[in-house]
Amino acid sequence: MIDLPVLKAADRKPTIDPANAPNVDLREELFQLEKEGELEIIRVPDNHVELPTKYGRMKKIPIDKTWHHKSCGQCGHIPGYSASIFWLNREFGLDYHDPTDQTSCTAWNYYASATSNPAAQAAVAVRNFAAAAEVGYFPLIHCGTSFGHYKEVRHALIHQHDLRRKVKQIMEKLGKKLIIPEEIVHYSEWVLAMKDRIAERQTLDMSMITATVHPACHYHKLIEEDAIYDKEIYGAQRTAIITGTLEALGITVGDYSTWYDCCGFGFRHILVSRDFSRSFAVQRKIEVMIEEVNPDVTVTHDTGCVTTLDQSQFAGKAHGKKVGLPVMSDSQIAALAMGAHPYKVLQLHWHNTDNKAFLEKLGIDHRAKWAEFEAEVAKIKDGTNEFMTWEDAK
Amino acid sequence: MANENIVIIGGGPAGLEAARGIADIGYKAILIEKRERLGGMPDEAQYATLTPDRRDAEEAMDEMRDAVVDNPGVELMLNTTVTGADGDVGNFTVKAEQNGSAVEIKAGAVILATGFQHFDPGRETQKYGYYEHDDVITSVDAEKMFKAGKFVRPSNGETPKRVAFIQCVGSRDRQIGNEYCSKICCGISSQQSIEVKQHVPDAKVFIFYIDMRMYGYWENEIYWPAQEKYKVNYIKGMATEIIKKGDHLIVKGEDTTMRRPMEVPMDMVILAVGMEPSIGTKEMADIFGITKNKFGFIETIGGALNTVSTNVEGVFAAGACTGPADLEDTVSAAGSAAMKAIGAIRRVGVPA
Repeated sequence: MIDLPVLKAADRKPTIDPANAPNVDLREELFQLEKEGELEIIRVPDNHVELPTKYGRMKKIPIDKTWHHKSCGQCGHIPGYSASIFWLNREFGLDYHDPTDQTSCTAWNYYASATSNPAAQAAVAVRNFAAAAEVGYFPLIHCGTSFGHYKEVRHALIHQHDLRRKVKQIMEKLGKKLIIPEEIVHYSEWVLAMKDRIAERQTLDMSMITATVHPACHYHKLIEEDAIYDKEIYGAQRTAIITGTLEALGITVGDYSTWYDCCGFGFRHILVSRDFSRSFAVQRKIEVMIEEVNPDVTVTHDTGCVTTLDQSQFAGKAHGKKVGLPVMSDSQIAALAMGAHPYKVLQLHWHNTDNKAFLEKLGIDHRAKWAEFEAEVAKIKDGTNEFMTWEDAK
Repeated sequence: MANENIVIIGGGPAGLEAARGIADIGYKAILIEKRERLGGMPDEAQYATLTPDRRDAEEAMDEMRDAVVDNPGVELMLNTTVTGADGDVGNFTVKAEQNGSAVEIKAGAVILATGFQHFDPGRETQKYGYYEHDDVITSVDAEKMFKAGKFVRPSNGETPKRVAFIQCVGSRDRQIGNEYCSKICCGISSQQSIEVKQHVPDAKVFIFYIDMRMYGYWENEIYWPAQEKYKVNYIKGMATEIIKKGDHLIVKGEDTTMRRPMEVPMDMVILAVGMEPSIGTKEMADIFGITKNKFGFIETIGGALNTVSTNVEGVFAAGACTGPADLEDTVSAAGSAAMKAIGAIRRVGVPA
């Protein structure tokens, strides 16, 4: 026992009083602008829960009436990611809307210096918000890049009169309003808000699983005051996102030293310096996770993070690096826990890194499951079915 | 006619100096302190030394305390919390709770000297891991260790070989709304870096900074000796995060002079935490109807030429309750507040 006047980290008690701590609540300015007739606001639906943010503000997370703003990368590379989100909504019988008139947020090009100007960027965002409002649903953003970008767009629209004026002009041409959601909500916040209900419906024991978590930079480093924190998780010293969900499912979350690092996607690096992304993902994230935790899976909550961490491992393998760690989203893990099909719903065959050992550890007969999936594919091939339905995916 | 007593709220350096000054001039100071001891933050946080003269903090506070204790011109009310206030200049009634009983104090003027609190590094700067890593401490923790005469790693009691200071923790940070410089941290870290070297001469000591703001004589009294005599390394660039690797901490960040990212192993990291208004400062501002600035400090209305008057006539503020301040500024403002408080009473008129 060391006799020191300084407490150990575990015994240090934050002096923060959320009621008195300086805080930023953009909504106050948003509501004021609404009063002045500058814009309209999409209110969070009545059926919502409140979760604490970094500095204590309670953020409203809608449970239903959600308008699913999908991710280009998810739909293109890992479709089971968003399919799992929809599957969860359907299992809980929630009223959601999967729009066909949503556009890309164009933020990825923005990071690669390939898009035009702030007004165009903001107009794309507002056009999507308006589309949600027109059908009476609240935007739920699947993509971390879109989520981070929309938070920045909202911030800019609130603080820049000129930008509002330009966007208004564009919206008028489209026959739409300048309308902004009361909260910008990421789907993983919805998963976290649903964690106890998911755990109640859990059919697959996951207590033997150890996972590492990668929180997305876009989630907790941009407009950081909007991210969810929980004093029960890392003492609110890190975001509670993903970890809270996994722990509710009985999964052990292992800590590793480079948790704060980017996955390697790097906003623009994956586009302009892909070798750097591959090296970073393998050497700074995957290898460190394996060396320090040796987890069964790593779980993240963004398109870029899942794809970069997953699809970079082939390069590491070629160079004899310590790789081979399955990568999934929290929505996929949650759906799997509730009995979703690993191929028909999670579509794990789109993932690059071998995940069969992970499935076996969970007691899932992946060969049988794959045969079931192939049987559905055969029906499409022979013209019996045009496509797979939710009923077929059961 | 005005009541000629002056209530001072807060028994730290500003309150003690104001009380001493008022008594010296021949007026009566009623010094209200919520703690059972006088001495304010230097006492409460157990500072080892004062900046820049490196005087023993306890000895200096004893001197300030001795000037008011048993002084017939000063009435001390310890364990007393102000709960309300009525009246105007010349005739204030201050309501308080003393040891659980309600009391009322009449006064012609009031001086607020309710000070500051140290920034809590867990509030925002999670990336520095204060609540995760034993060997990440604050400058306040470092003071306590210096005072105890033992500078070792809290994790294992071993002598640190590499120690880093990180500047501007909770200061100059737009993200959390603390856009201001806390003024004192550059000097204190430089002084503490000297103390680290005195405790552990073989240690390598680093200071990561945005700018070193060593105003006035602090430049030659602290900054150059730290570099030239004690060989402290100043690195321009902010640390972005601190992680633990094995038995060591890794400080990550950017060395802006070398224009490259850096990752340097450390045994201990000291966070130079800034100043924020104390809860008492915010509460007293509300009780007396005084305007706070956007950061929660008391707003004085006289600009550069009058640093103690507030929007309420007869209520003055001194020291770090008006914004980041070193001890020199604090005691100077206390003297000014004492003089202006007496002036306010005299203008209203005192009993013949």
